[in-house]
Amino acid sequence: MSVLLVLEESGGKIKRASWEALAAAHRLAPAQEITAVVIGAETDALAAEAAAKPLGKVVRVEHPLLKTYTADGFSIALHQLIRNQSDTKWVVFPHTYQVRDYAPALACRMGEVLIGDVTGIEDGPVFTRQLMQGRLNGSYRHSGNGPCFVSVQAGAFRADSVETQVNAAPAPIELFTPALEPAQIRTAPSEPFRESAQTVDLGSAQRIVSVGRGIKGAENLPLIEALAGALGAELAASRPICDNGWMPMERQVGSSGQTVAPKLYVAVGISGAIQHLVGMKGSQCIVAINKDPDAPIFEVADYGIAGDLFEVVPALTEAVKAGR
Amino acid sequence: MKIVVAIKQVPDRDAPVRIAADEKWIEERELQWAMNEPDAYALEEALQLKEKHGGEVIVLSAGPERVGSTIREALAKGADRAIHIVCDELGAGAGGGLRNFDALGVARLLAEAIKPESPDLVLTGLQSEDLGLCQTGVILAELLGLPHSTLILHVEKTDAGLKVKRELEEGWFQSIEMPLPAVLAMQSGGNKLRYATLMGIKRAKTKELRAVNAAELGVQAGAVVTLEQISAPKKQKSTQMLGGSAKEAATALVEKLKTEARVL
Amino acid sequence: MMNLLPILGEPRQFAIWEQGLFVALAGASVYGFWRRFGPILGKILQSKRDPDFHLFPIGKRVWDFVWEVLLQAKVIRERPLAGLAHALVFWAFCAFGLVTLNHCAVVFGLGFLDPAGRVGRFYFDVAAIFAIACAVGILGLFVRRFLVRTKWLGELSWGSGLVALLIFALMATYLAAFFVTAPGGAVQALWWAHTITLLAFLPLIPHTKHLHLVLSPFTVFFSCGEFAHIPPLSGDEDFGLVAGKDLTRLVSLQAYSCVECGRCMEHCPANATGKELNPKEIVLGLRGYLNEFGPKSEEALLGKYESQRAAFECTTCGACEFQCPVGIEHVPILVGLRRGAVNTGAWENDYGSKLFLALEKGSNALGMAAAERDKFVEKSALPIFDGTQDYCLWLGCMGGYDPRGRAIVLALVRVMRHLGASFGVLRKEKCTGDPVRRLGNDLLFQQLAEANLEALAQNRVKKIITICPHCVRTIQEDWKEFGTPPEVEHHSEFLARHLGELSCVSGRDFSRAEIAGKTAGALAPEQARNEKIVFHDPCYLGRYRGVYDEPRQVAALAGELVEAPRSHERSFCCGAGGGLAFLGEEKGERVSHVRAAELVATGAGVVAAACPFCNTMFQDALAARGEDAPELLDIAQLVARGLPEEQ
Repeated sequence: MSVLLVLEESGGKIKRASWEALAAAHRLAPAQEITAVVIGAETDALAAEAAAKPLGKVVRVEHPLLKTYTADGFSIALHQLIRNQSDTKWVVFPHTYQVRDYAPALACRMGEVLIGDVTGIEDGPVFTRQLMQGRLNGSYRHSGNGPCFVSVQAGAFRADSVETQVNAAPAPIELFTPALEPAQIRTAPSEPFRESAQTVDLGSAQRIVSVGRGIKGAENLPLIEALAGALGAELAASRPICDNGWMPMERQVGSSGQTVAPKLYVAVGISGAIQHLVGMKGSQCIVAINKDPDAPIFEVADYGIAGDLFEVVPALTEAVKAGR
Repeated sequence: MKIVVAIKQVPDRDAPVRIAADEKWIEERELQWAMNEPDAYALEEALQLKEKHGGEVIVLSAGPERVGSTIREALAKGADRAIHIVCDELGAGAGGGLRNFDALGVARLLAEAIKPESPDLVLTGLQSEDLGLCQTGVILAELLGLPHSTLILHVEKTDAGLKVKRELEEGWFQSIEMPLPAVLAMQSGGNKLRYATLMGIKRAKTKELRAVNAAELGVQAGAVVTLEQISAPKKQKSTQMLGGSAKEAATALVEKLKTEARVL
Repeated sequence: MMNLLPILGEPRQFAIWEQGLFVALAGASVYGFWRRFGPILGKILQSKRDPDFHLFPIGKRVWDFVWEVLLQAKVIRERPLAGLAHALVFWAFCAFGLVTLNHCAVVFGLGFLDPAGRVGRFYFDVAAIFAIACAVGILGLFVRRFLVRTKWLGELSWGSGLVALLIFALMATYLAAFFVTAPGGAVQALWWAHTITLLAFLPLIPHTKHLHLVLSPFTVFFSCGEFAHIPPLSGDEDFGLVAGKDLTRLVSLQAYSCVECGRCMEHCPANATGKELNPKEIVLGLRGYLNEFGPKSEEALLGKYESQRAAFECTTCGACEFQCPVGIEHVPILVGLRRGAVNTGAWENDYGSKLFLALEKGSNALGMAAAERDKFVEKSALPIFDGTQDYCLWLGCMGGYDPRGRAIVLALVRVMRHLGASFGVLRKEKCTGDPVRRLGNDLLFQQLAEANLEALAQNRVKKIITICPHCVRTIQEDWKEFGTPPEVEHHSEFLARHLGELSCVSGRDFSRAEIAGKTAGALAPEQARNEKIVFHDPCYLGRYRGVYDEPRQVAALAGELVEAPRSHERSFCCGAGGGLAFLGEEKGERVSHVRAAELVATGAGVVAAACPFCNTMFQDALAARGEDAPELLDIAQLVARGLPEEQ
């Protein structure tokens, strides 16, 4: 079995990014050469979910000390597994926060280096990843003696084909119990928590829907709120909206308000004056909706719709809900 | 607390990205250099810890001679002394470039420089703005045999060691307790950066800046993963205007956000 | 005229005891004066020397002295009535020099002006005219301070009241002597009354703001003379005005010269909008500090006597310094206090840090990627400067990144092309450093100035034209500390030279007289636009550079000019200067809104600006007024829209 694919779970189900990693693994070896790994204290349900996918076998790495993720626990356990599955040529992960936390250490244990956040796999294999904050692509090759560790960027490979395909017969499931002592686990993590909702912290919001003068009046805000709700986004506004009292001052984005850099910033009815731009230009993906096609906001937007926001926003809200 | 902060000098944000003739890296001639931003946050956290608990902040960086300016910037902002691992081969523009030192190689250099210091805490930035590997801190912890955590926003010293705040996906956080000594990879934005002051620069002139090279550290070049070639991505950043009726544009937008931008 | 007044009555004889008494009283008076003045003089002289003080060229110093001190020009011009009253008092004091000397000599029989003689009588009569003027003047000032209670004068000051009374008494006792002629007790008594008033007045001088009588002529003479000049730092331990030991002699002299007239306060935009900053208090704060801690102290200036918050509310508009009748230079003092806080890292401000970090790493004060400017230059097909063109067109941060600033640049480009002037823009620009200079970050400013000077030299730039008065000032004056900047001018100066070629804008030729005048006069109705235009003088073009007429001449091409109540050197700041445009939200009333209201109230249909910062500040303020707000345009845009369409 040349490929070891490490799956990650969230809330008792395998995360979608793991299936994308499976799709990537198919570029390296045929399905029957792929061993999927689930890690935890109780992994039968996860293993069953994985066994239905197009792969060769599933290994359950189980130990009470693996109930909560820790870098030490996962590194040690997987190291033992890889040594056990000695014909492993590739170890594939989804590139998640968790993987970033332990996979490099795991690779180091074996004298290897993780090729992380891969966006493409070409023949060779040559692995493509982004450099200089997305302005360049780099091609990497592995030349070490041990297995090649690869983590795959979320969304780089399409999981649909993998998700919909179901194995005629589920793959065999094995159990692997690593040797772990409590003293080896050096970090003690708490339960995850969210920040208290008292202060509006736009700075850490992943998605923001921001509204400007185009909204014309506070009575039209529910339109925007609906879109924000559909996107799971925080609400923000440009200066004039806050000045008019239609939104509280803490929601102001701009030179005299907050500076934000979310993954998605939707600017509705905002012209793009410099005072606002400096507050949001660092956003990863900017969408602008404005009836004036020459509005400066379109200069910095990735996607723009030049139209009447009173038509576009409800349509967008529907489209987002439909696409979920 | 004795804190070592590993920083990296990277091309500054406005750097023109022009691929060099050999397609192995970018043209470095016209580049201006700056401190990697996550490292600046790591440095800031270290300085705040020193201000609170006393101790020493040592700044460490590997690279060619030009790295000195970034090291001095760190000294100006308040670090007490610095170690410069002089290594031309880390500069990608030089002949060997990244062939000779991959992430493991760089981490080995740093580890050898850190070991004699026996610090309480080692901080690095989460990732670098040029290569963005996000690994050096984690590998460093493994080489030093120390516990670690990543994506850290806040560090608190406790009687037993440390309590740190870690960022998770989707707006969740968790706190982690660990003993000292430890290694942390710091996320950007956890604290407020301080600006370099005239007073800081003047004081920095008298602080110790020790240079050492790879041979002295006993680290050999050699890489298991190599960057073979770089190229420009096919899609350049430009505004895509979506036309049609409101419904059509909205549908198209959602599709793009899901598959192209991948933010949904 | 000669014999209008009776002969001045003067005592002939003084008894020994009277002479003795006089000597004793005079001695006590001088002692009282010195006891307070000596330490003050000591504090001034013990302050550190000004690093870049040079006595020569002395011509300007002498001229300023004559104009401001002897002729009282500033005092009168800015507050005509009160200023004239003061001028009369001052001139009377000057005239009374010999009178007073004679008066004291008389007690020893050494009087040298004979009241009956031709010279003496003439002199005393002239002095009497001054005395009447002075008495009227001082009465008027007394009424202003104690009955009208002008708020700029601050709290009621009994010291001032007493001094006013004494001055009045001096004049009264002098004039009375013309009418008490019969030799004897009355003349003697009057002489003593005048003497005692005089000897009581003398020691009061250093205890009150009337110290300016002694100091202000020196302050005007010795002060830097260059408007808002920020001195260089001297040596490795100089970080600005951190503590008493950083106060220089000039600053200490100025602190003690303040007459508390409140003109600086009256014209301060921060003060006018309810901020903590009060320029008068800044200066008096230094005085209080010197009185308590002295010029060698290590005690922080920003503490008991100066507020850090107030220091950072200043837009550096310079209205305070421009107004000051005794030569106090407020701008370098405020920037000095800021330097002390910023250069030592004591200033903790989120926006300030963001600005500094943006310029540490990037090229512009707005924190935008340089690629944005590149895109603009490329899209607008602006020619690149290659050393052959006449002008290097400097975009600046606003011209390069702000949509409104860019619109101004494109308008200017259109006009320059129409005029056939050759120009190019630099491939890369770094911020001139104006905001960090005014905020007191010398490290960053030096880096920016040096990098820019080098880049300009490499690109062989000889002449710069720019749309931003802040860039003009910084390039021409502030960069001098680090090298030789190229020639630089503001686009209004350039356009004003080419008025004749721009007649197409208003469809008529200009006569020389009209070009020299401030407005273009009546326009041919069928050709001219009918809007009234109000021009707002930018602080950094007007007060800082003395350019008032050129932008008006240019604006007048497009319509009829009206003036705002506060214009020219009295122009009210837009609120963006001093780095404040980058420091986030203003508390309370906004300076820009106050000024916008004033401009709108002129009834003009167009507000003409000549600075991209003013332009951005007024955009918000005018937009808040709704649909019928006047148009806001730069003078370049006013001209450009009147040009014939391009082929």
